[in-house]
This record gives sequence, C-alpha cells and structure tokens, in this order.
Amino acid sequence: MFPLAMHMANELLSIPVAAATLALGAAIVAVAAAVAGRTLNPERLPLMGVMGAFVFAAQMINFTLPGMPGTSGHLGGGVLLAVVLGPAAGIVTMAAILIVQCLLFQDGGVLALGCNIINMGVVPCLAGWGLYRLLLGSVWKAKPWRQYLSAWLACLVGVTAGAALVPIEAKVSGVMQIPLSHFLVVMVGVHLLIGLFEGLITFAVIAYLRLARPAALALAEAQPGRRKLGRGAVIVSVLLTAVLIAGAVSWFASSQPDGLEWSYLVRGYGRTENALKEPSPAVVGANDWQSKWSLMPDYNKRAAPLGAAAAELEEAAESAESGWPAINGWVSVAGLLGTAVTLAIVYLAAVLLRRRRRRVGPATGSQP
Amino acid sequence: MHHSHIDRFAQGDSPVHRLEARAKLVAVLAYTAVLISFNRYTVAALAPMAILPLSMLWFGGVPIWFALRRVAILSPFILAICLFSPLYDHSAHAAAFGPWRFVVSGGWLTAFDLAIKFTFGVLALTALMSTTPFASLLEAMRKLGAPKLLVMQLGFVYRYLFVLIDEAMRIRRGRDFRGAARAPVGRRLAAVGNIVGSLFVRTLERSDRIQTAMAARGYRGNSRSLSVSQFRGRDAAFLLAVAAYLLGCRWLYPAIL
Repeated sequence: MFPLAMHMANELLSIPVAAATLALGAAIVAVAAAVAGRTLNPERLPLMGVMGAFVFAAQMINFTLPGMPGTSGHLGGGVLLAVVLGPAAGIVTMAAILIVQCLLFQDGGVLALGCNIINMGVVPCLAGWGLYRLLLGSVWKAKPWRQYLSAWLACLVGVTAGAALVPIEAKVSGVMQIPLSHFLVVMVGVHLLIGLFEGLITFAVIAYLRLARPAALALAEAQPGRRKLGRGAVIVSVLLTAVLIAGAVSWFASSQPDGLEWSYLVRGYGRTENALKEPSPAVVGANDWQSKWSLMPDYNKRAAPLGAAAAELEEAAESAESGWPAINGWVSVAGLLGTAVTLAIVYLAAVLLRRRRRRVGPATGSQP
Repeated sequence: MHHSHIDRFAQGDSPVHRLEARAKLVAVLAYTAVLISFNRYTVAALAPMAILPLSMLWFGGVPIWFALRRVAILSPFILAICLFSPLYDHSAHAAAFGPWRFVVSGGWLTAFDLAIKFTFGVLALTALMSTTPFASLLEAMRKLGAPKLLVMQLGFVYRYLFVLIDEAMRIRRGRDFRGAARAPVGRRLAAVGNIVGSLFVRTLERSDRIQTAMAARGYRGNSRSLSVSQFRGRDAAFLLAVAAYLLGCRWLYPAIL
C-alpha cells in the first residue's frame, strides 16, 4: 500500500516536465549503469537483478502498524539496496524495479517513469547512501549503534526527500490545483512516518545481517583489484542530491514570479493549449471568475463571504444561456455517439475475427 | 503466485499479439503523451481516445473486465487527488450536453478529466502488456537503445520475481500461523527484520547458484538471444494508423467540437 502512494501518475505531469524528468532519469541511470558495470565484479551482475526481485518479495512481508489496523507498512528498499550494493548498482536496480512495477503492475505511469526513478531511486539511493556512509565511517570499524542510527537516518531523509519532489513536479506541470504547500505538507508528513518505519525495518535487516552475514554489508566495499569509493564520493553524492533538490525548488520558484495564483495555471494553459484556437471568451471569463471567486485568492482568506460565489454562478449560468455561442451541446453528443458507434464496430469486428479464427483453428491444427 | 496472474494473456495469439513489440511500445508511449497533453477542462474531447486501447484489448482477445480490474486496483491514489480538486478550484465553466446547458466548477471538470485520463492510460498499458510477452518487450527496449545492463536487470527481476515472492509468502504464512498478530509491536518489527534479513541471505545464496549455473552454460557477462522478431510492413502500417488516429484525436476532433 505504501509505495503505491508515492508512485507518480502520468496525469499529474505536463509533457515538458515528463520529457525533462525522463531525460534526466535516463541520463542518471545510464551513468549509474556504466559506473556499476565498472566497479562491480561482472560475476556479481545477476546479484543486482535478483536483488530487485528480492525487494518485491520483501514487500510481501507486511507489518501491521500499531493502532492502525488495515494499513500496513513494508520495505521500500531503495536505501537498503544502496547500502548493500553501492549507490550506482542501487540506482540501476531501483530503476529496474520501478520499470517492472510500471509495465507489469501498471503502478506509476509510463511517462512518469523519469519522475519515479528520480524520486524513489536516485534520491533515496544517493541521499540515503551518502548519509549512511558519512555517519558510519568505515563499515568494518563502526559500532553497532552507529550503524543502526545511520541506516535509520538515511531512510528517513532519503524517503522523505524523494517524496517531497512529487508535489513539486506536479506543481511545475501545472495540472494540480491543490496548493503546493498543502500537498507538500501531506506528502512530507506521510513520508516522514513511512521513512520512520522503513528506517526501523532497514535497521532490523542490518542487525540480522551483522549477525548472520557480516560480509554482505560490505558488498559495495573494496573488492580486490576494484576501484575504491572514498569519502570524497560520499560528499559528492550528498552535494549532488542537495543541488538536485535545490534546483527543483528554485526552478519552481522562478517559474511563478508573481506568487502562487490559481489564475497562473489557467493563463499557462491559455498560452500552451490554445495555440491553435484563440483563447475563447469562456477561458477569459473563467479566468476572471477564478481570480474573483476562488476560495483563497492569492493565498489569502477571501474577504467576501463564499455565499456570494453562488449568486455569481447563477449569473454565469445565465450568461451561458445568452452569450458564448462557441458552445454547442449537440456537437459533443454527436462526438460521444460517433465514438460509441466506432467502438461498437471495432468490437463486432474483433468478435467476428476471433470466431472465424476459432473455427479455422482446430482444422489447421490437426494437419500433420 | 505466478506470472500468469499479471500477464496471463501475453502468450496468446491474435493480430495484436503478432505485431512487433517495438511498434506497440512506441504506439502506447505516443498515445500516453497525447493523452496527458489535453487541457484539463476539455473532458468531452477525450471521448475518441477510448478507441485505441479498447480496440487493442478486443482484437487481442483480452477480456475487458481483466483490464478494468487493473484500473480499479490502482485507482486509490489518483481518486484521492480527483476528490480534492473540487475543493480548490471554484472557477465556473459553461458546459453543454445536448439540449442541457449547465455550469460546472473547474474542480469537478478536472476531477473527471484526471479520472478518465488515468483509466485510459492504464487500459492502454494493460493492452500493451497483455498482448506482448515480457521477453519481447525487453528485446524491443534493447533495440530501441536502453542500456544493456538495465535490460539484463529487468530480465532477472522478471525471472525471479515470482520465485522469491512465493518464498516470501511461505515465510509469511509460517509467521502468521505462529500467532505473530498478537505479539507486541517491538517483537513484530524485529520479526519482520529477521524475516527480511533471512530472505536477503537466501537471495544472496540463490544469486550465487544462478551465477554458477549461468557460467556453466557459457555466460560471459552479456546475454545472447535467439531473436527472430523484425519490423515488418504491417508494423509500419500499424504505427502510421496510430499516428493518424492520434493526430485526429488531438487536433481534428477538438476543432470540430
């Protein structure tokens, strides 16, 4: 249930944002794949993929939250993968998991894959792993409590930072009308809680591995004859994540110089969507109504009572009756009917085709 | 749990199944891009977008209830966002359907718009996955230039997904039979950690065995496949038809509306 809440849907993104995040995600995954291919022993390659499958399986081991029957938390896995496999292999594996979730389970949109890979793969892996290693120092010399604490903090920060990007991406796309601050508070609040449990489970897994298989915790550590990832790499990855998040925030801030206004969204659409048609009077009118009668114009509580809006609505209905000749109800009915008729024809054709194939099928099948 | 639960129709045979995976992948990607490019207030213009996913499902012999069930399973998150939007967008919009004219708030228009786009998007993706074996799709992704390492990982994830899920389910059943539900929170959390940890160690050992088995069969770091799929005339025709259809949906239909 939990990872479902974090998967970005296609519908919340605009084309430019989807394209930009897809390009960025693809570039990061390509770099990570190259780095993982170089630093990881080629014999270790199957391990990454099987670890991806492991994350799915680990999500089956649910944990009923205390006091909240019905909801259950389980492992997201990004930070654990990064800790065990190293950040590059962790990112590639998370990307593989997210692509399988998208294609096979239709969880998260195809065009939102870039966003999902950044939010749930790149940010948790880089931020989580960087924080883990910064707090931990050497894996071999670290004391247990320090290992636990750093794993837990890494999950908390990694998961929450990734989740905080969801509302920002949606807002930059301009599809959402829920104000950024509200959505951000909800997402960050929920994911601080999720990060807490993710951290606790990761913490428990690491405790088990420390007892049962200490070598597994150092898989990403120096392998004989392989390049070693030093403290510099850790700092660089943390800085990179900070820049990524700061960049997203500042991009968002600069795209709305006149503050957070509802009307911004409508005007934005007027520019991009109605490139073919003139902005219809309906859009202009709606724009006016919107700035006048939205619940919280310019983020301030409205001065006029809300009841006034109802009267305005009636007025708008009257003007819909008289003016606005562009709107003709019958055309949309005709459009719906046309679609329905087309679908009926397609359906009939498919049924006929299948029936014919079924009749032909056994006859040809029995031929030697 | 087996693959058949998710992509049980992918191995069938139909005109849609016989199309090349690359053509279908590109078509569904383009369809999704056109779908989300629609203005959020133009709900009526979305109607003809139903034709492509539904015809792929029907011609592919995939039952419509199967696809609709996928939509229902995935809908909670998007439904929550849909239901929130009327609270925030009170702009008045004139709408007309047949002889009736009425005013709706922009929030409700957005809610319907998001729900319809989501449904169509999931239907299209289900149509793709139910008419294309995952291996062919991986092949298509490789031919379209995805990193080789990533495609290989996808293959591994798909291959071992249900093997490991089965194992996890067995462990979970064992835990539940031992009365885990009544244990205190701390103990339950520790149990989850131990189970996931032991699953992790088992996975490590399994991947070692897989590695040895693959090496014994001649694996030297890159996979080879006996691929016969090639881009044929009918795939090009399919892509052209989809392109014409999408252009019509995006520009011709809203223009006459």
